[in-house]
Amino acid sequence: MSVLARVYEERGLVTTGLVLIEEHAQRVKPPRMLSVPFNFGNTLGRPNDPEYQHEILRATFDLLDREEGPALDRFSPDIAPELFSQGSGVVRQDSPVVSDPSQEVDLMRPFYERWVQQNGGRTAVGLSTISQTDFKLVIKFLENFIGNKELDTPIRPEQFSVSHFIRYCVDDLKAYCFESKMYEDPNLSITQLHEWLWAETAVGSLIMRLAERMRSDNDNEVKAVAFGIAR
Amino acid sequence: MPRLEALGETQRKMLLNWPCPDNDDTPWTTMGKPLSESKVAMVTTSGIHLRGDAPFRSLKGGDASYRVIPRDSDPADIIQSHTSIGFDRTTSYRDINITFPVDRLEELVQSGYIGKLSDNYYSYMGAINDVEGLIQNSGPEVATKLLSEGVDVVLLVPT
Repeated sequence: MSVLARVYEERGLVTTGLVLIEEHAQRVKPPRMLSVPFNFGNTLGRPNDPEYQHEILRATFDLLDREEGPALDRFSPDIAPELFSQGSGVVRQDSPVVSDPSQEVDLMRPFYERWVQQNGGRTAVGLSTISQTDFKLVIKFLENFIGNKELDTPIRPEQFSVSHFIRYCVDDLKAYCFESKMYEDPNLSITQLHEWLWAETAVGSLIMRLAERMRSDNDNEVKAVAFGIAR
Repeated sequence: MPRLEALGETQRKMLLNWPCPDNDDTPWTTMGKPLSESKVAMVTTSGIHLRGDAPFRSLKGGDASYRVIPRDSDPADIIQSHTSIGFDRTTSYRDINITFPVDRLEELVQSGYIGKLSDNYYSYMGAINDVEGLIQNSGPEVATKLLSEGVDVVLLVPT
């Protein structure tokens, strides 16, 4: 972000923006940046809070009044953002409600579809290009991949390598689960959502086993993709 | 991010050792007109794009390409292909404005705080640790497009 600010400014554009890692901006020296203390993915602080988001944006645009730079201000008040767990950081339940991920996605479907309807058709699902109604096929392939029974699948679009297809399938499954759960229980925090996925769901267990299988693969691309799936 | 001093040692070290250029100076363009008369564009590094666009790729060093997002895009047509276990995406599921404040910018125009908005916004993926592609290619390309659209001010929003 700070690098782009410099590139644009050098070409005659005026820039202002937000940074999440103040220490990086101190090194890159973009012209105008507001440092915010929020987690990655939470740049404007609070979802569905227009007033708070405007407060941050106005502080960002206020930097345009400066006559020289670099101008690197801190947004106040400083707050402690909510952190979330990785899969390896939670204790899985001994007796999950559902142990079959295919059955689980079927049970989640009514909540997911209501989430999408509630959000005007917006969903984070779709990277794999596989319809959520066909997630059973995805899960079957991932199970077979873990067991070395199937290393590719006819449902993979040809523009994606196997490892990237797996990555997008996992991203879709995570998004589907989270969106279902957020409809079912809108008040869950970020921490609670991630703990639920990793500790209580069959899909979370599947993803953990998949990441472990991919980390042990001989192909470097597969190993690299494993890093982005789960830890 | 949380202030680095509040993080665990592993994450703090990773972020402190992240390769980024060390510069001695700062380029500077002076505002030529008030913000209330300026055209503003938004550039995000959240790795979002239209559903029909090619996804950003998890390449070594990062994918320095960019995507164009017309300002009037339906949020339902936007998807994020920059994903990572390092950041939470559930907040953006709840509200796209958290990393791509499209509604907030429209409101700032309606209130007269901003003059007008560009027809197109631009998106890159974040966490690029080889920035030469940004500096040499995709950064200048987008700058040229922004200038040709008459943009005065660029708002940069990371994820």
